[in-house]
Amino acid sequence: MLTQKAKDKYNQKGGCLMTRRTFLFSSTATVAGTVLLSSIPGLEGQAIAATVSRYPRQLIGKLSQLKTGVPVTFNYPDTGGNSGCMLVKLVEKAGGGLGPGEDVVAFNTICTHMGGDMKSVFKAEHSVLGQCPLHQSTFDLTRHGMIISGHATESLPQVLLELEGDDIYAVGMMGLIYGRYDNLKA
Amino acid sequence: MSTKASDSKPSFTPQDQVPLPPPDADVITTCCDYCIVACGYKVYRWPADGPNGGPKRKENALGLNFPLRPGQGGWVGPNQFTQANWNGKLHNIAVVPDHKARAVNVGGGHSIRGGCIAQKVYNPNKSTKDRLQQPMVRINGKLTPVSWDFALDIAAEVGKHAIRKHGESSWAMKYFSYQYFENTYALTKLAFKSINSVAVSHHDHPSFVNSVPGWVDIGYDIFGASYEDFAKADCLLIAGTDPFESKTVVWNTWILKGISGNKTKVIMINPRKTAGAAYVEQHGGLHLDVNPGSDTVVHMAIARVIIEFGWHDSDFIRDHVANQWETDSGFGQGTRNTPWQWRTTWGKFQVKGFEGSEKHWKEWLLSQEESKPEVAAKIAGIHVDKIYQAAEMMGKPKANGQRTKTSILIEKGHYWSNNYLNTASIGNLGAILGIGGRPGQVMTRLGGHQRGGQNGGKYPRWKSPYKVPGRRRHALDLDRWLQDGHVRFAYVVGTTWIQAMAGSHALEESIKRYTTDNPHQVTSSDKQAIIDTLKKRVDSGGMAIVNQDIYLRDPIGAKYADVVLPAATWGEEDFARANGERRVRLYGKFYDAPGDALPDWKIVSMLAKKMGYMGYDWKDSNEVFTESCRFSRGGRKDYNAIKVMAKKQGVKAHEYLRSKGTTGLQAPLLMFDGRLVQTKRLHDYNRKDIPDTGPEGLTVTNKRLLAFKTQTGKLNLVKTPWNLWSDFYEYMQPRGDELWVTNGRINEIWQSGFDDQERREYIRQRWPENFIEMHPEDASARGIESGDRVKVWSDRVPVVTSNNLGVKSGDMWFSGLMKDGHIMQDHGEFDAVVIVTPAIKQGVAFTEFLTMKQAGNNITPRVPDPVSQNYRFKIASGKIEKIGESPYKHSFSQMSLKRRDIV
Repeated sequence: MLTQKAKDKYNQKGGCLMTRRTFLFSSTATVAGTVLLSSIPGLEGQAIAATVSRYPRQLIGKLSQLKTGVPVTFNYPDTGGNSGCMLVKLVEKAGGGLGPGEDVVAFNTICTHMGGDMKSVFKAEHSVLGQCPLHQSTFDLTRHGMIISGHATESLPQVLLELEGDDIYAVGMMGLIYGRYDNLKA
Repeated sequence: MSTKASDSKPSFTPQDQVPLPPPDADVITTCCDYCIVACGYKVYRWPADGPNGGPKRKENALGLNFPLRPGQGGWVGPNQFTQANWNGKLHNIAVVPDHKARAVNVGGGHSIRGGCIAQKVYNPNKSTKDRLQQPMVRINGKLTPVSWDFALDIAAEVGKHAIRKHGESSWAMKYFSYQYFENTYALTKLAFKSINSVAVSHHDHPSFVNSVPGWVDIGYDIFGASYEDFAKADCLLIAGTDPFESKTVVWNTWILKGISGNKTKVIMINPRKTAGAAYVEQHGGLHLDVNPGSDTVVHMAIARVIIEFGWHDSDFIRDHVANQWETDSGFGQGTRNTPWQWRTTWGKFQVKGFEGSEKHWKEWLLSQEESKPEVAAKIAGIHVDKIYQAAEMMGKPKANGQRTKTSILIEKGHYWSNNYLNTASIGNLGAILGIGGRPGQVMTRLGGHQRGGQNGGKYPRWKSPYKVPGRRRHALDLDRWLQDGHVRFAYVVGTTWIQAMAGSHALEESIKRYTTDNPHQVTSSDKQAIIDTLKKRVDSGGMAIVNQDIYLRDPIGAKYADVVLPAATWGEEDFARANGERRVRLYGKFYDAPGDALPDWKIVSMLAKKMGYMGYDWKDSNEVFTESCRFSRGGRKDYNAIKVMAKKQGVKAHEYLRSKGTTGLQAPLLMFDGRLVQTKRLHDYNRKDIPDTGPEGLTVTNKRLLAFKTQTGKLNLVKTPWNLWSDFYEYMQPRGDELWVTNGRINEIWQSGFDDQERREYIRQRWPENFIEMHPEDASARGIESGDRVKVWSDRVPVVTSNNLGVKSGDMWFSGLMKDGHIMQDHGEFDAVVIVTPAIKQGVAFTEFLTMKQAGNNITPRVPDPVSQNYRFKIASGKIEKIGESPYKHSFSQMSLKRRDIV
């Protein structure tokens, strides 16, 4: 959550009139994509490239067509290895959730432990992805793909979303996809 | 117009890129520093200014094409990457599970703990920046940086003074039993061989004792199995632990292999339905959700059903279980100073053999009310059918008449509740089912820490003043020894003494009384004045503390230590250690230790020399290792052959072990005809590769290699009388609106969280605080919801006070101690964030076992098992009361409150 101070500052800067993309680039937001490797000394040069501007903007679905608890699969940010993702309207509000209920989220569905494919193990009543068929990790889709129980060394990469009318766009990704060294290098 | 998603973000911002090691990166082999499984890892090291590697197989040191395929090991995720100095120059470091591993984590499996171990590395720009880097002395209450000589002169002079004036056992050592052979060897050489103090205990016990005393008496070694046995069994009984949660790769690589390939049925005994328990239930297994502390009667009832159906292994019992003659003759050598003798002379445990009279085990068992399935089920709070189902899974022969291959795997939830009886009663189950020494039929602890203990001297048990009725003597209870004012100098090494011990609150009060509450406090920076002040404190009945660790631990270091010494650790020195299948490997040094930090063995050598002791002139860790080798002979981890083979090849012992990579060598190591022979499993009575000419040269063929660990080499069945435990159990039962409050490990946190919960952003996001799981019925009855903050407390935490001499039978049982006024009832409490989940049994709450700031041990009973001196950490009860809402109740950025048993 943003602190109150950050929220105030954010509202002064244009509040809800901002697009998701301008929000990501605004100085108040430290949302994933904008900081990345800058926390690692010696890699500042690469950090510049590692921003959300790197990601494609891709139409992935329509809000009105989403059924609660029924995921829709898509590939992002490309169609290469391990790019399987799901878009889903959860039964509850979620971090990074889109829409009036803040309940529409999207995640990469490859387990960040050893790469197990989890697209078929979504538990709608719990808003949980898992157990992973390989080693039983579970992930909380209401809390940015946080590990609930298991072995993964990264949260499930969350697809950053933007709504334009009824259209849902993927605009970026928070966290590294399993098996890749760079999300945009398939 | 576009609208954004909700502005919530995770507390930790993950990265979406990571550098790959170039083909010419240095590669160092090591193993994970954490749980007993000790997965093999490779460290890739290359200059921070690059160049980095590329995604093609030939462009990176991993030899892998990126992106990796699903299931393929060797991924470098952001948490596998860090930076550190090597020879004073900044380097990129990737610590990656060894995808070429041929043992343990075959193919590169890993846990969340080990998978993030790169973040353990000292990095001044990350949250490991507060590593201890200089020795410090407390002056005017403030820890002040000093030189090594200054700090160690004080430690040596005050220590020597205590020994001279108050006896060697006023010099106490509380230390890790596990943190590498080189360090534990040096520490115990000082404490046992040079000083000869009896006031020594490990990080997890009040006394220098065995964790699994029932097995000691029956004849099972505690780490007799090989991990492949878990995949070969038809049935696994796993008691008091879920390897999914705490021995990850044992689960991922070996148990899952058995479940999928061999249709292994897994039975889990645990009050809590863990993720593993939920999974096995879906795969033909069984979860016995017993009440805490009730395991013994469940084992007895399962044994009864097995016997009544005739499913016991008669051939094995005939050949490998001691009969009347063997039981008597094996011990007919007068009263000897062994645990077996102390216990059997009570007449409470010894039997004459399997069956034949009322003095035999079977008849004894059938005469016990608690062994009736209905009675046991009632005590355990489970459905009686589960007892029959478990007996059938474990014992019923297959349709083709073959015996079911069953293995038994236990850990702390099992043996740290009703220590003696649980370990003895489950050992009996093993004996009648033919468990031990055969593929897929093994009895083992799953383990906690790795096996890095090597004693450099003998524990002087005879010096302990703790006398119990008959000709029996307990190992010294260091917590009680301290509480009673007998410790004048304490050397605390690598353990969070206080929170790690039962009844922590009362223990802290004692430590405070003898240190900061003592009138003799250091107020000068003059070394001699400091020494004189601390000597006065020692002589006035107080205590000086020297605390050696990698971080400043609160309160033992931060509040009470007079001298704090910075230790170097994993990755900062070459070390050797064994894992839970006795596999010895070298953990290579790959970066510079921070500041002036030194490895523990080196600090010990400097301190010992200042105290005037001989034999501490080691130049490097290899020399300590080489010296320690001969002391391992005949033991479970016998690694003496490493020294011998190295000498033959003209290399250092460490280098010989390093050449074995992440596979290492499985001990005990033997030598025949100049060949090195490894040991897959212990008690292997079918083993053919040991010459029948017996020991050769330097090789010691300990009995446990080919037989069980008793005088006769056969297993001793023992009685397990419930009344040994029932008085204490009755006291600990929840009263009024109390609940059982038990505790244990969870996957994401290692030990006290010093590396992860406290310093790893990814894990701090998951677990910013301690939690307590409550059943929905228990929570709603108290108006508690998930995310609420609660106080967990008790006003009747039992703490045993001074009592060294037991005279009459029963004096040392709980009811005897209570009657004679030796039990103090203390107040203890901690707070935690509630997770409401049906995964925990109604009437029971479950919390993390060692969170520093919210220590569950504040309410655990400090009354050790009267037979074995083990604490009963898992048996506590207390009241739970809402004190407010935590920030995690409504925020999405930290701490998931979801249940952990979703399948």
